[in-house]
Amino acid sequence: MISFFRVIKFAFQGFFRNFWLSLVTITMMLMALFSTTLLIGIDYIKEATLEGVNKKVDILVSLKPGASREEVELLATDLDSQAEVKKVTIITPEENKVLYEQSNLDEKAKKVLDIFDEDENPFSFSLAVQGNELSQYTTILDKISQEKYQDLVDSSDFNDFDSFVGKIENFSKVLNKYSWYIIGAFLLISIVVIFNTIRISIYSRKNEIMIMKLVGAGNWFVKMPFILEGVLYAFTAVVLLIAIIYPIINFIQPSLTMYFQDVNVINISEYFQSNFFLIFGTQFAVLALLNILSTSIAIRKYLKV
Amino acid sequence: MIKVTNLSKKYGKKIQALNDISFHIQPGEFVSIVGQSGSGKSTLIKIIIAELKADQGELLVGGWDISDIKEREVPTLRRQLGVIFQDYKLLAKKTVFENVAFAMEACGFAKKDIKKTVRQMLALVGLKDKEDRYPNQLSGGEQQRVAIARALVHKPKLLVADEPTGNLDSINTREIIDLLKKINNLGTTIVLVTHNKDVVNSLKGRVITLDNGVLISDQAQGRYLL
Repeated sequence: MISFFRVIKFAFQGFFRNFWLSLVTITMMLMALFSTTLLIGIDYIKEATLEGVNKKVDILVSLKPGASREEVELLATDLDSQAEVKKVTIITPEENKVLYEQSNLDEKAKKVLDIFDEDENPFSFSLAVQGNELSQYTTILDKISQEKYQDLVDSSDFNDFDSFVGKIENFSKVLNKYSWYIIGAFLLISIVVIFNTIRISIYSRKNEIMIMKLVGAGNWFVKMPFILEGVLYAFTAVVLLIAIIYPIINFIQPSLTMYFQDVNVINISEYFQSNFFLIFGTQFAVLALLNILSTSIAIRKYLKV
Repeated sequence: MIKVTNLSKKYGKKIQALNDISFHIQPGEFVSIVGQSGSGKSTLIKIIIAELKADQGELLVGGWDISDIKEREVPTLRRQLGVIFQDYKLLAKKTVFENVAFAMEACGFAKKDIKKTVRQMLALVGLKDKEDRYPNQLSGGEQQRVAIARALVHKPKLLVADEPTGNLDSINTREIIDLLKKINNLGTTIVLVTHNKDVVNSLKGRVITLDNGVLISDQAQGRYLL
């Protein structure tokens, strides 16, 4: 037990008394952690963007003038029963008129409505159809184009929409495919950087290790403070990472919210908050383990005195 | 205390560092091992402190045959010896007190005993008032005295000094040799490795002379021959 406390004392002594060496080692680790966290953030933004786009996309089915409420409700129920369809919303002619008036169209375009009397509504019913997944929109579009619906459906811009959905879907596949390679490469680089940082740190203190051995210290007594120092490096690097990451998140969050005009699409601060222990705890555990392994390997040859 | 029998050591295939040397050092002796650079003095010391292994022969230290010592037994051997080096080998980031205490801490001594013994040893070497200094705040002679205090802290029966005055001026050399004589008078066996002719001649003690790895002379009241 005495030896255990001494080992902890020596670890703290080594950590603070070799201040510049500790600082350099922690900086290298911090850079590796920052890269990894950046990738985690980018991966979240990618996933959230695709999910957000998925939520925002719906098929607007314009129905022919004169379609009755009952016919529209029947069509909506029929579409809603399809496996690919998540939700069908009926938009009444009155709602369509209000939407048109509130839209971003210029005043000239809006003045078109002036040719109608105030109690006259040129708009018909329409349906907003939302699919479960982006990939299912083409199937939904095919179903809407069926002969049996053609007496009611009055839409003609299906093809443009089809290509838009296709592009998003391809983009998502490419991102998913290459992000793993990028993450893998970054992780590999980080591991190599950390391993070599520890090796250099141990190398610069090799005389200290040899002296300890020459005055009668056992391998365990010499090695353990260095291993604990590695854990301290990992802890300090993660604490510094948290101190750096949160201001960055708070800085970029308003821009992301503004871009999607919805705080719920990409809420990166909420994501880091709810996954705090998973993200930073895992990084600490992996880094500490890596440091322990690197120290054990690097110190081995200097213990043979 | 030390019994060397037919000890040989080669570096690679050609360099014969020690060639079939034998001698016996009794407890309480003060023995100088002399020789020029490359004569095998340092190799002999490295074998005594188990930093190197001999190729042939037998080496008994305090009755313990360390010719074929296992790695896990090395710390136990070193805790029974005191060793001082030419370059002091102090831990740069530890204070004088911590450097001396480290040897005891590694052995698992209690804090109270460490404090008491370290202070005693620092008083013995005349550094009681400098225990909070770091090695780079001391002169060469003072650093060597810290190393001596560290070597004595677990009260070894044998003190091995490998060129302890090699980096010191004549005044500090004299002080270190006087200190070693004082320690010897207290009953500790001293093995002094040196090529300092004046030191050896002033000691008027036993001198073992090595030349090219061969023991060429072992005189009870010897002088520096080479």
